[in-house]
Amino acid sequence: MINIRNISIIISRDLQRFWKYRWWLAGLITMNLADLFIFALLFNNMVRRDLIPNYFLFIATGIAAIASFASAFSIGREVGVEIRRNYTQYLLSLPLSRIELAFGRILSGTVRGLIYQTPFIILLFILIDLPSPLQIIYILIASTLLSTTMSSISIAISTATRNFDMQATLRSFTYFILFFISNVFYPDALIRQRFPGVLYNIAYYNPVSLTVSLFRIIFKIYATPPSGYSELHIIMYLAIWALISMFMGGYLYIRNLEK
Amino acid sequence: MRDDLRLLYLLIVYDIRKIMRYKVFILMRVAWFSVQVGFFAYLISHIVGQRFGGELTYYHFYLLGAYTSILFTVSMFRGYETAQEFEEGLIEYMLSLPIKRKILAIGRILGGSIASFILTLPMMLIVLFLLGAFDLFSILLAMASAMIFSIGIVSLSISLVFLIKSGDATDITFGILDSLLVRLSTVFYPAIILLSFIPYYYVSSVNPLSYLADFLRWIFYPQELSKYLINNPMNLAFFIIGFATSMLVLATIFIEKKIEGGGWK
Repeated sequence: MINIRNISIIISRDLQRFWKYRWWLAGLITMNLADLFIFALLFNNMVRRDLIPNYFLFIATGIAAIASFASAFSIGREVGVEIRRNYTQYLLSLPLSRIELAFGRILSGTVRGLIYQTPFIILLFILIDLPSPLQIIYILIASTLLSTTMSSISIAISTATRNFDMQATLRSFTYFILFFISNVFYPDALIRQRFPGVLYNIAYYNPVSLTVSLFRIIFKIYATPPSGYSELHIIMYLAIWALISMFMGGYLYIRNLEK
Repeated sequence: MRDDLRLLYLLIVYDIRKIMRYKVFILMRVAWFSVQVGFFAYLISHIVGQRFGGELTYYHFYLLGAYTSILFTVSMFRGYETAQEFEEGLIEYMLSLPIKRKILAIGRILGGSIASFILTLPMMLIVLFLLGAFDLFSILLAMASAMIFSIGIVSLSISLVFLIKSGDATDITFGILDSLLVRLSTVFYPAIILLSFIPYYYVSSVNPLSYLADFLRWIFYPQELSKYLINNPMNLAFFIIGFATSMLVLATIFIEKKIEGGGWK
């Protein structure tokens, strides 16, 4: 039996710690804003208009998705520190079941992702347009599912080794694979044209790509949305990602804590 | 003097030997760089309309920028290492050794920059292979300029660690510096594009990353890319040498003064 109150205590504790890392957050915001207001603004002058009419807005939707992804990933960093410092013994001694502990940590990452992402979504509303209430619900669901997936993946990676450099390298590697092999920087049609087959499928079903596509459909960034994509299809794929990664992440977290 | 040189040599060897600890790190970086140049750069070059004359595309332009940014990141990483050595008490141990502070500072900077260069050598070879650049003189000149640039960046990064004296603050400062300096340089775009936003152009015109990226471009494509450089080739070379020399001197003086008394947070 899962006690919701225990999970909410873990979430609120992790949230308090999130604000403690305000300088780390400032760094993350700088990175995201630099991508938008430096990279995208300048690159907009080089991009072929026939492919992407407005690269700044094209990237803005990508950055909004990446924002939740990067922030949700922060929980992995902390879990890694706990494992290195043997803080896990203390966590295991708490009057919580292992499942409550694992899901509490995963959901903490999810909440962090959502909080961090909100200003970027509001920025999209200002830069582009205010979507309908139903579309706002779609955005909220997709962001929650993406954050859950990323939180679970980062926890699983961070508990895999006690070596700090290895943890950081594995997290960066996963981050950049998901970041580069996605449609954040380039249209889906181009990926399909240049990398048909396995790589296109990896990019297509990448949870970051799925969220970015949903944002681009809602904010009408695509001249023609990629075939097979609709809001509900995307949410279904994201839900599958979130469920699988949540169970995998939770299982690996508990297993590695008890080692 | 002879003893000083021997100690300097030992310090450099110490940093180079540490590379062996990073086998997985190197493999990951090479894999990540391969994705960056094989997927990201290839696709992004297809959405760029900019042509540079002849067969030269944005892909060729970006490859040398990508190498510059990875060399910058890896050189900055020496700062993280120093921060970790502070946390582990290794710096205090080194201070107890019969080595002059100045030699210790210079040795660690030179050792760190040679190690950074070696760590990025596989990436440079990937770029040269993709460019089809096999001229020995050009390759040696590119390697020498990368090595000199790395001395400047390692000096900067170690000085920052000694100034900040905090692991967390180092982490954040380096993250911000990395994201801003890479984007406000000619790594991704030629100087004429930066001119469309004058403040960005001014920052990029004093940014060492712009100078190395453009100098490497000039080495391999002197005709095609000459009009897209941020400065003339001679100035690019002098800037890289001047930056490395001044940063090395400043860092040595600074570290000598800051190393005493601890105060690590």
